[in-house]
Amino acid sequence: MMHRSVSPAPPAAAATAMRAALLIQRWYRQYVARLEMRRRCTWNIFQSIEYSGQQDHIKLYNFFSFLMEHFGRSEGVCVSPPASLVSQMFGERSVCQDEPWEKHCCYTHIQLPDGYSGPHLTFPLTLSGVTELLHAFRNKQLHARYVLQLLGKTWTLLRLMPNISTVSTGTHTEITICGDLHGHLEDLLLIFYKNGFPSAETPYVFNGDYVDRGKESMEVLLVLFAFLLLYPHDMHLNRGNHEDHIVNLRYGFTKEVLSKYRVHGKLILELLQKIFSRLPLATIINQKVLIVHGGISDQTDLNVISKLQRHRFVSALRPLRRWDWPPDPEPDEDSSVYRRRVQSLTHCSPLRRHTPTHTARHSLHAGTGRCVEEELRERRRLAEDPELQHTHTDADEWKQIVDILWSDPMAQNGCVPNKVRSGGCLWGPDVTHAVLDKHQLQMLIRSHECKQEGYEFCHSGRVLTIFSASNYYDVGSNRGAYIRLGPDLVPHFKQFQASRSTRELTLRQSVGRTERSALQALKMQLFAHKSALIREFQEYDPERAGLVSLEHWAVVVEKVLQLSLPWRVLRSQLVSSSTQDGLLHYQDWVNQLSVLQPNTEIANTSLLETLYKHHSNLESIFRMIDTDHSGLISLEEFHQTWRLLSAHLQTDISDAAIAELAHSIDFNKDGSIDINEFMEAFRLVEHSRAERTAE
Amino acid sequence: MAPKKVEPKKPEPKKPEAKKEEAPAPAPVPETPKEPEVDLKSVPLDFSPDQIEEFRDAFTLFDETPTGEMKIRYAQCGDVMRALGHNPTNADVLTVLGKPKAEEMNTKYLDFETFLPMLQHVSRAKDQGTFEDFVEGLRVFDKEGNGTVMGAELRHVLATLGEKMTEDEADRLMAGQEDANGCINYTSFIKHILSG
Repeated sequence: MMHRSVSPAPPAAAATAMRAALLIQRWYRQYVARLEMRRRCTWNIFQSIEYSGQQDHIKLYNFFSFLMEHFGRSEGVCVSPPASLVSQMFGERSVCQDEPWEKHCCYTHIQLPDGYSGPHLTFPLTLSGVTELLHAFRNKQLHARYVLQLLGKTWTLLRLMPNISTVSTGTHTEITICGDLHGHLEDLLLIFYKNGFPSAETPYVFNGDYVDRGKESMEVLLVLFAFLLLYPHDMHLNRGNHEDHIVNLRYGFTKEVLSKYRVHGKLILELLQKIFSRLPLATIINQKVLIVHGGISDQTDLNVISKLQRHRFVSALRPLRRWDWPPDPEPDEDSSVYRRRVQSLTHCSPLRRHTPTHTARHSLHAGTGRCVEEELRERRRLAEDPELQHTHTDADEWKQIVDILWSDPMAQNGCVPNKVRSGGCLWGPDVTHAVLDKHQLQMLIRSHECKQEGYEFCHSGRVLTIFSASNYYDVGSNRGAYIRLGPDLVPHFKQFQASRSTRELTLRQSVGRTERSALQALKMQLFAHKSALIREFQEYDPERAGLVSLEHWAVVVEKVLQLSLPWRVLRSQLVSSSTQDGLLHYQDWVNQLSVLQPNTEIANTSLLETLYKHHSNLESIFRMIDTDHSGLISLEEFHQTWRLLSAHLQTDISDAAIAELAHSIDFNKDGSIDINEFMEAFRLVEHSRAERTAE
Repeated sequence: MAPKKVEPKKPEPKKPEAKKEEAPAPAPVPETPKEPEVDLKSVPLDFSPDQIEEFRDAFTLFDETPTGEMKIRYAQCGDVMRALGHNPTNADVLTVLGKPKAEEMNTKYLDFETFLPMLQHVSRAKDQGTFEDFVEGLRVFDKEGNGTVMGAELRHVLATLGEKMTEDEADRLMAGQEDANGCINYTSFIKHILSG
């Protein structure tokens, strides 16, 4: 071995040096491997929690269906409270009709305040105007007047577009394809600075999910729409599953808009609802590459998709009802017929654990006990009836859209309903080949799933996932990427990661940060299952000594949470205290997971836990009830909502307990509940010994 | 996409204890003396069922097969062992894998049952290296006897001696360790590595 060091060491020292080198190398490699394992663990946690969060979505959908099933709609007739509440929640039917909107969408009466220092927009837009807007977004907000003006023009443009955009690269141009942005303005700007602004030479396709989660969803939309207006032939925007107002209620976009635009937020949201439903569903490049947000199913038929009226499908979470059809005067329908229509083919009984091997599909309503095949037969029978002809086609079209926006690929052949999300399918390689070949397509590019490196191939390279929101779960969690595609249709990737600070952190520090945040999220999940955990622990502690072994801890946690996580690898980080000789004080441990910070005295702790478990759905529902977007709902509305929800969930919480809760949450005793305050009350905070009060 | 076939290597662990998940401690079998080829058949497992589940969890984290077949590439074997707290040299790993060829490292797979006795074998290794061993070794490069070594020299050593590290590996290792003059206080450096 040649030593090329400056001052050669003596022989004995050389041997020592060699040993030292070997030691250091070994230990370094161990250090890196351990970090890698922690990183993979953290990733697993985030993905599991995200998917289990999707289960909440399914619950929400089920709840809405339950409401409509049992309470129908009202037509100004005097109806019982629950029905009127439902009507109130879904009362945006007016939004579907285009005509009155032209009159309502009037921004000209909105005055700019004297001190307004934000950006100004002049129409028609110019490149310099749009770039000024980008610069302004660093620290300014665009006034609602301009927002509405921009959105109005966007809507006018989108209405002219077909359901499927066709694009050709020509002989020289490369087209850039981006995935989910989720309100990450920084990532969008990074892409523009690295790759160039949209133009005839630099056309772009954006594949949906512009909003929710990130804090600058509004600005992302405004930038994209501005470029769309500027270069309508070179900007192509697909709809994603988050371009959906009910999803937005839950994942933060609605909140963002209402807090940024206190006076005009509602109007903006209503206009956006129309815009979202007018976004094209797919883009095809050179007749060879299909780009959709989620994916496909074995039923996907681009011919059906190109012909349907996409603007009627406002939200995937709002099951299709008769009044979403073209506005003809309808006779009063038989309510039993109505009920059959509400049932959907794509949704299965909730809360089955997601396993790769699929189990039988069942209809949403356990009462009928019908499986999907029977349901289909029943529908075909209904479809023979000419009066009910619409039902069949509508359900088909709805499924086509939901599949496009919500599906995920899987490794096994076949096509099964996607139980981890609230809709769409899991489709296998055989379906990819069948559908792509049927339409003479080469490749499918989709988004919808976060990938560590920003992109990932599957299905023998015929399906490509592209994701452009870096640090999606937390700082350091993943890179974003975009694709450059030339006439040869061979994808080239560019990756990036926003946030200056990530580059400065060492590997260990950035793994540590993400890990801490994942563990915190996991603890919240554990807390939400507090009672079930205690019950199961007690199974292993028949004498009620209050202790279980660490082995049993792992078994219990795995069983209760139903998240396929490496619990034993995580054990040392989740169970750091409360142990004694390899035994765990489980009650202590559960209590220490976190502390609810209610400003009120809520005596009923099981009510507290139930509320916490459903708090994100509750928030969505409250915001739907709050139709004037004032942030307040009345005590009576709260009470009714909770009663409905608990009827659906079949919890045994007494009316008195709810009334008491409602009163205690009405902090200023004015008969109304501030939704934000309510959510704050149930925000979990880090356990802090100093503040902890005895339960 | 990587092939999913696993070709069993010469030492085939077909003992019933290795296959069962909740195997109790097997009957004592004299361990064969260390030879160039490790006879995995005769490595008795003394892990508890809970430990085995933990190893299985970790193994799953590194399973990159698209259908979740619970298999890892040969090339990952060393990393998984290290992630579980052992630190074999690359040579040790190759030995226990049966000295595969370089190209097989990324094409051959092993499953969990095959992995377990390998892990057991590696866990018995002596000579892990103490803090003092490290310090002694680095002291050779401490020209001024002041507790520091030149970062550049250390990089050079790590890249040319022993199981050579790549430039990238060396950079990562030293990230944040060098002071403004490019010197590293090796006592704290070693503490940093050992605490990872």
